[in-house]
Amino acid sequence: MHEMGIASSVLEAIDQELRRYPGHRATKVALRIGEFAGVDRESLEFCFEALVKNTELEPLDLEIEWCLAKDGRRGDELEFAYLELDEAKEAAA
Amino acid sequence: MNRVAMERKVLSENDQIAERLRGTLKDLRTLSLNFIGSPGAGKTALLERTLERLPADTRAAVLTGDIQTENDAIRLRRYGYPVRQITTSGACHLDARMVETHLGDWLESGLDLLLIENVGNLVCPTSYDLGEDAKVVVLSVAEGEDKPLKYPGIFRKAELMLMTKVDLLPYVPFQAELARENARKIRPEIEIIETSCTSGAGFDQWLAWLAARAERKRASVKASADAMLVT
Repeated sequence: MHEMGIASSVLEAIDQELRRYPGHRATKVALRIGEFAGVDRESLEFCFEALVKNTELEPLDLEIEWCLAKDGRRGDELEFAYLELDEAKEAAA
Repeated sequence: MNRVAMERKVLSENDQIAERLRGTLKDLRTLSLNFIGSPGAGKTALLERTLERLPADTRAAVLTGDIQTENDAIRLRRYGYPVRQITTSGACHLDARMVETHLGDWLESGLDLLLIENVGNLVCPTSYDLGEDAKVVVLSVAEGEDKPLKYPGIFRKAELMLMTKVDLLPYVPFQAELARENARKIRPEIEIIETSCTSGAGFDQWLAWLAARAERKRASVKASADAMLVT
């Protein structure tokens, strides 16, 4: 149920990050989410897609690295892994 | 195409506010507890009985979260402590900003105990740090004893599990021992207290836990202040 809020936090963070890279647009964001983070993966993907659709952010891919609580990992991660950027097209500028 | 690392948490804005709150509450030596449980688990009743039995000189306050209505705040106000309702208008959890905003002037006069009743939900509130000292998960015997296995997130993060409505045990199929085992499977060190708001069972133990936890916090704040003086 709170996946919409999480998806919108992701987009806000991307927006902030993009200010550091003028002339670029984001093409993909990767998140690390732990099995005990209390986040439903499908629901987050759905919300993310819904928020991006028909906005200037589109197309923007979401990649989720699902983290199990093993090998010293806590399994409650809810963090960014990386962001992929492209030079913004002339038309978009 | 460039790939840039983003070393931040998704809810980092919430976490920053939570850390700020935690710092403020530490300076004031306020013990802050975040109560999380399903709708109907008995969070409000538990807080009512708790307020009723707190030592008279305790400076306590309650924030209670619901999607709609002031009902819980009205119930809780009868005990003479300051209570504020946070209505989230749809959000299924409290976040740190809501807590910070609703604390208002409470902290100016000092506070020993801040009780935060989260929105009834075992999943979403788990992700949001409210700057609390501990999460307390509330599980009633009218639910399934496998809840810790179905919703492990909150049981992994809770310091204490309060089993409520134990006066109903003779009438429901709930196996208390199995529920305890399940909770410990998820978090071996979780503390468990069984309570009934109707009979008052377990409240001596729960209030003793509360007093000891508050004392532990004051001692740790003092220890870190002393350490600062030495250095």
